[in-house]
Amino acid sequence: MSFTRKMAWRNYLVEGFLILASLTIIFPLLIMLFGSFMTSSEVLRFSLRLPEKWIFSNYTQVFREGGLGRAFLNGLLITGVSSVLNIFTSSAASFILVRRETKWSGFLYMFFFMGLIAPMSTITTIRVVQWMGFYGSITSVILIYASLNTAFSVFLYSGFIRSIPKALDEVAFLEGANTFDVFFKIVTPLIVPVNATVAIMVFMSVWNDITIPLYFLTDSSDWTMPLSVYNFYGKYSRDWNLIFADLVLTSLPVLILYLFCQKYIVSGLTAGAVKG
Amino acid sequence: MKISKKLYSYYLIWPALIIYSVFFVFPALTGLYYSFTDWRLDRETIKFIGWDNFERIFTDKTLLLAIKNTCIFAVVTVLGKNILGIALAVGLNMRLKSKNILRAIFYSPSILSVLVISIVFTPMLRSEGTINKLLDTVGLHSLSQAWLTDPSIVIWTVAAVSIWQHTGFQMAIYLAGLQSISKEYYEAATIDGAGSWKSFTAITLPLLLPAININLMLTLIGGLKVFSEVFVLTGGGPGNASQVVGTIILRSFGEGSWGLGTAVNTLLFAAVTIIAIPLLIFMRRKEVSE
Repeated sequence: MSFTRKMAWRNYLVEGFLILASLTIIFPLLIMLFGSFMTSSEVLRFSLRLPEKWIFSNYTQVFREGGLGRAFLNGLLITGVSSVLNIFTSSAASFILVRRETKWSGFLYMFFFMGLIAPMSTITTIRVVQWMGFYGSITSVILIYASLNTAFSVFLYSGFIRSIPKALDEVAFLEGANTFDVFFKIVTPLIVPVNATVAIMVFMSVWNDITIPLYFLTDSSDWTMPLSVYNFYGKYSRDWNLIFADLVLTSLPVLILYLFCQKYIVSGLTAGAVKG
Repeated sequence: MKISKKLYSYYLIWPALIIYSVFFVFPALTGLYYSFTDWRLDRETIKFIGWDNFERIFTDKTLLLAIKNTCIFAVVTVLGKNILGIALAVGLNMRLKSKNILRAIFYSPSILSVLVISIVFTPMLRSEGTINKLLDTVGLHSLSQAWLTDPSIVIWTVAAVSIWQHTGFQMAIYLAGLQSISKEYYEAATIDGAGSWKSFTAITLPLLLPAININLMLTLIGGLKVFSEVFVLTGGGPGNASQVVGTIILRSFGEGSWGLGTAVNTLLFAAVTIIAIPLLIFMRRKEVSE
């Protein structure tokens, strides 16, 4: 009895401490959220309080002046196409890498795996893209994101495909199917959950990134939301209510995705934690 | 086995291999070559100059400071994110009423853009900002700092913001690792009279090694590659006090000193590889022997 009571006390203590700690996470986020509804003078206190009057027009103003509609669509195009491209290429490659079990396929796996570690060489990548004649275009950014995410996706897919019994493929091969059929008709339906995980991981990292657009998108009409926010932040540095509204709008798509797709994010993390 | 080679033909690898090689591997390899050249915006011909770029990196004060700052940032964030991450995960793995909501709260900043978090913290970190005001009200005025304008602490501030944002991500990986540990180990340990600290060091830590492994790798590599946090919070300032390798590369690119920029990148590449690969091998071996 005294043991369980001691356990209960310890739990209350830990819980109380964690709740206090969570306030340090919540407060800055709430300052941003509440601030986005304030007047431009009220927001300058940067302290946690509800707005005296909720000014929803901050959002419409920011949407218009920050060119967010265009940036939203650019972001959607870039993240969408690069994650679909990444899903197709990485899952197909992982399928062969896992199934062949030769020295050469082992080497190729390590070749892809190095991409998880090595930093990208930005300046020479720019030269390569310039030489191919599409520097500054959305296409170049899509291809770069697809290549940057290849390593992580191949790592995730390989782990999962290894757990699919090879016997399934063999039956199909005996019935006269070719590699293509086996991959699309047998493996693809089985890896749908991994596709969702990869899609979400790629979407979140690409949507939030500013480095690649900063180097590769020379025309402001091609910018994604975070980069246009950065630009807006430089221009309207006194109107913190508008800046906060802009930040909230940029965060909204990933927050919504997170709320609806938590399951897939968790499974991605688990794969990383357990397989190491 | 010959059959399997024929059946699993390599053509399904080509799309991934081509995209990855053209846009990642090829630039990385040419970068190695260009870091030994005097490649500049205004040069028609590119000349091989041996180690000159690297000599410049190790004699230039700003570049040295950038390397030092990158190391500080990497070490501080690796320690912060992992120690706090394990602590949070162990706490939130207990039977607490509010554990689900607390997990979501701690994880939430890591799904937002670094840009968003950095901009939110900028006004709070000013001398007369929220954090110093808060310290004043609780009577800790002596702790208040010029967080982003004092050259001696600015990189620590940036690291702290990064820890604030990303510890939740590390926590989530540790939680997944903790949940794969069978409860029976702890029950057996309690019966044997082990206290909670003993169970933590004898059961939790060893069995958490795969998660520790992946988290150390992620935070260390991420830390050495730091760019956005510094770019948005300080732009490398005040002066050059918070320059890191990532911002130096951007600056060299802007100035047109591409040879020097790629040399800095090569150095980063070497550092990451030298640190990451032995760590990877060491951790693998440790895992097996446990």
